[in-house]
Amino acid sequence: MRVALAEDGALFREGLLMLLRAAGHQVVCSAAGGDELVALLATAPADVAILDIRMPPEPDGGLITAERLRAAHPDLGLLFLSHYAESHYLMRILEIGTESIGYRLKEKVGSVEVLTDTLNRIGNGEIVIEPVLAKRLVERTRGDKKDVVSALSDREQEVLRLMAEGRSNNGIAGQLYITPKAVEKHVANIFVKLGLHTDTAAHHRRVLAVLTYLRSQRNES
Amino acid sequence: MMVSGFGHPNGGVMDESVAGMCRRKHQDQWLRRRLLQRQLHDGAALRISALTLRLGLLQHHAAPTEHALQDYIGELQDELHAVLEELRDVAAKIYPPLLDEAGLGPALRELAAELRVPVAIVTCDDRFGPAAEGAAYFAVMRCFAARPAEPKPAKVVVRRENDALMLSIVGVGAAHAELVDDEAKPLGGTVEVEPETPLGASTIIARIPCE
Repeated sequence: MRVALAEDGALFREGLLMLLRAAGHQVVCSAAGGDELVALLATAPADVAILDIRMPPEPDGGLITAERLRAAHPDLGLLFLSHYAESHYLMRILEIGTESIGYRLKEKVGSVEVLTDTLNRIGNGEIVIEPVLAKRLVERTRGDKKDVVSALSDREQEVLRLMAEGRSNNGIAGQLYITPKAVEKHVANIFVKLGLHTDTAAHHRRVLAVLTYLRSQRNES
Repeated sequence: MMVSGFGHPNGGVMDESVAGMCRRKHQDQWLRRRLLQRQLHDGAALRISALTLRLGLLQHHAAPTEHALQDYIGELQDELHAVLEELRDVAAKIYPPLLDEAGLGPALRELAAELRVPVAIVTCDDRFGPAAEGAAYFAVMRCFAARPAEPKPAKVVVRRENDALMLSIVGVGAAHAELVDDEAKPLGGTVEVEPETPLGASTIIARIPCE
């Protein structure tokens, strides 16, 4: 895969460069800031851009850069890396786009397999959400929703967590060593129990429905 | 009811320059806390994250048949993630990064979700400077932490009134006003309490001078 990279921490940037190359990806350009990356990408086409959220232009240059890149190269996948997995940033990221987009913790992409899986899923148009954050969202549901989520079977809770990570039915099947048909059944059950009515066939709409359910709370302004 | 103001503990009114110096000292402390948090992020945390990448590279170069070694490297990476989680915990106690980067609205919403407090948070996009924002954040956090296990829904409102951050905390109990006062007073702020009425819960209102 052709990858572009912007990260202001030299140590992390160099490490990621080496890991990307070891994984067989082609790094078409790398930069210490967003503006530089936008300029480089004008002449060097890439499949996915990896962006640090907290980099120049300050304070959250990764987000501003992503907006510019989405406008200039609509097919370019975007992977945000951050030291923090915050639902606040997840929502801002999903405002930039709901296809071919991902958000992961910096220390969680440190293996060839995970890095390649993340990039491939983004390349395939999926939303990729840091599992640490997806798990937290599932565990932090409150009030009526907490009761609903805890009434799901253990397997259904696992499937819900993987849906919140943005995984497709095939992806979930691969993670849980069950058939896609079985996943479909679990997903349908979960949607009935949560009272969600959405077109589960459209991947990004399903992820958004699940995230909105997990994040919304009574009383929220 | 006025809980505190610019009054000196000994009863007299502090000399204005002394009060100003005291306030600046406390403002500087908030700046130092923010700086420490940023230092953790840009220094130790980034170094450890980079280390996980180097371990990943090592894992890639190790022979695929070396299962024990492969697993061991994976365990080391998990351990580094745990170290970073602890550093994040420390950073949040020094000065929450989300507060620094995104302001009181997002930071308080994240806090409410973390502590599972049913609370409506009404804020504006205004920024108030690291001292006033830090004081307001930790005042709310201390009120949340001191609440009973099954709390009634509360409400937190943040707005600007001229050169002050106005913080209203509704429904956490007037007894917590002292906690808010501890954070507001060093910056020259004041705290008032509107007692509970048949029409509504008690409200703690803090006025904190800001940028």
